Amino acid sequence: MIEVPDLAVGALALGTLSAFALGGGLLRSRRQLAAQRAKTAALRAQLDGTSRTFTSEVEHLAARRVPAAARQAAHPHVTEPGPLNPQLAGSPLGAALERVLTGLHAELAAQRTRIDAAAQAGMRGATREIQAALYRLQDALRGLQQRYDDPELAQTLFELDHENEQSLRRAQIAAVVCGAWVGLAREESHLVDAVTGGQARLAGYRRVRVSNHLAAGTALVSHAVEPVAIIVAELLDNALRHSAPDTEVVVNLEAVHHGVCVTVDDAGLGMTQDERARAQRMVAGSDPILLTELGDPPRMGLAAVGRLTRQFDLSVDLTSPSPYGGVRAVLRVDRHLLTRIDPEELPPAASAPRSTRRAVPATPPPEPEAGSAPAVVPRTPEPLPTAAGHDHGYGTEQDAETPAPGHHGPRESGGLPQRRRRGRAPASAGPDAADGVPQRRPRRPEESAAALGALQSGTAAARSAAGSNTAAVPDVPEGAPAATTADPASEDAASNHDEGGTAR
Amino acid sequence: MTGRRGGRPLVPAYLSTGGVARPSRAHLERLSVLTGSGEPAPAELPAAQAALLEELEYGSLTVVEAAALLRLPVSAVLVLAADLLDRDLVLARAPIPPARRFDPDLLKRVADGLRDLKHR
Repeated sequence: MIEVPDLAVGALALGTLSAFALGGGLLRSRRQLAAQRAKTAALRAQLDGTSRTFTSEVEHLAARRVPAAARQAAHPHVTEPGPLNPQLAGSPLGAALERVLTGLHAELAAQRTRIDAAAQAGMRGATREIQAALYRLQDALRGLQQRYDDPELAQTLFELDHENEQSLRRAQIAAVVCGAWVGLAREESHLVDAVTGGQARLAGYRRVRVSNHLAAGTALVSHAVEPVAIIVAELLDNALRHSAPDTEVVVNLEAVHHGVCVTVDDAGLGMTQDERARAQRMVAGSDPILLTELGDPPRMGLAAVGRLTRQFDLSVDLTSPSPYGGVRAVLRVDRHLLTRIDPEELPPAASAPRSTRRAVPATPPPEPEAGSAPAVVPRTPEPLPTAAGHDHGYGTEQDAETPAPGHHGPRESGGLPQRRRRGRAPASAGPDAADGVPQRRPRRPEESAAALGALQSGTAAARSAAGSNTAAVPDVPEGAPAATTADPASEDAASNHDEGGTAR
Repeated sequence: MTGRRGGRPLVPAYLSTGGVARPSRAHLERLSVLTGSGEPAPAELPAAQAALLEELEYGSLTVVEAAALLRLPVSAVLVLAADLLDRDLVLARAPIPPARRFDPDLLKRVADGLRDLKHR
């Protein structure tokens, strides 16, 4: 039997034990709790830190990186700062922030293109109007030039015409840079006319020396005329601008295998490698043009050249330095843009330099066609019949061979008298030439009409001037237009020609 | 085939004289007669002067005629001719004095007479 005290002792012991056990548990849990608290506090601190970093990173993004990214779109040399905390680079947060910037870049670029396109459209409209107005002004000025020959007035008109050409050039390239059409349709023209026309559009045109080494009659198809004139003007403008005012800019027109090259050499400073590369990129026209990238004030020349070369399949090269020390620009016009104009039918402008090759083809005549009469052999020593004499002497079949041994193939035959206008060998008197009168060149009816019209108007002017001595400037309206247009009465003029010939 | 030249000239007139419109000699007129002097043209002659000389190779021309043939205004040809005169490449003769003006009355009477003859 168990005693009560034993029981009590046992219970006490049990209680003590359990108390110990419980106390231990309690202690442990307390310690655990403390540890937990500490951990929580640490975590909270860390979280605070992280969110601070996050906030400051976003603030940095807003304050520095986004503006830098925006500026970079316009100024590529601006460097974009990285994240504030370099360790962020690989983290998801870093990647997310990068994506913000990428999106921004894309949107900015799109906006820029849109805004630029709008600006270009606006400018296109404005320049088109200006260009048309300047052409009207040009017509008026040229009309006045034809009508009045008082030197003082003519001087003013020349100056105004030149000013007008320069304004026209600026308006035109602005329009071209903005994607407009060149604004003027021309007929097919001598290449040298296009080059000389381009030269005339510049302030320093007197410093330009053009040498024409092309075969006479080398011409541009109609749609290439104005672009070539614009490109030449811009290349010349660059050359004139970057060379000393007392140096010449030399232009050479040469035939090459694929067509024709217009070489512009200046004796200026030349370009550095970087400038050269940039210029070459511009004239290649492969990058889209943004007005905002052309600087302030915008440098449009090369950009316009780029547009035109791309549009009209021309090529411009600026990569080689000039032997004169400056820049050499080479415009190549390929064969498919070239054509021929009979230089006797439509001679180039009076101010356009004559071909240096003029004499060359005349001396070694292409061997006469096999079937032709022996009479075609001459052209060198013995007295030659004139062209007109030829026709009268030998009938039509020769026409096919004789017309222009030096210049071009038989372009027109059919028994009409062949006109040899320029580069004719100084032949002695032909069969029908009157003694004393040197060779007489048959003029085209249109030419005769123009000359006679001019003479008539001149006479009328003199009469009216004599009639009213006060009138210093004779007013001769009708005659002047007659000088430039073919007269329907050319038939008359042609027959009159021989009578008028005494004055010739 | 390209017939006649129309449209806007590519090369403006002032280029022919380098922008000068005041001739070095004042006595040239629209109807002055120019004749080549037969001297060989120097190679460095400006293009427009060479062109004028070329036109004169085949005989004399008045200034207006030369202007029409060269498609230049008379004022420009006056300058070119004066420059050529200075180089003795061209001779100029004063215009033939203008004939007395026709009496329009006389012309009218002649025309009437002719018409009468025709109807008779």
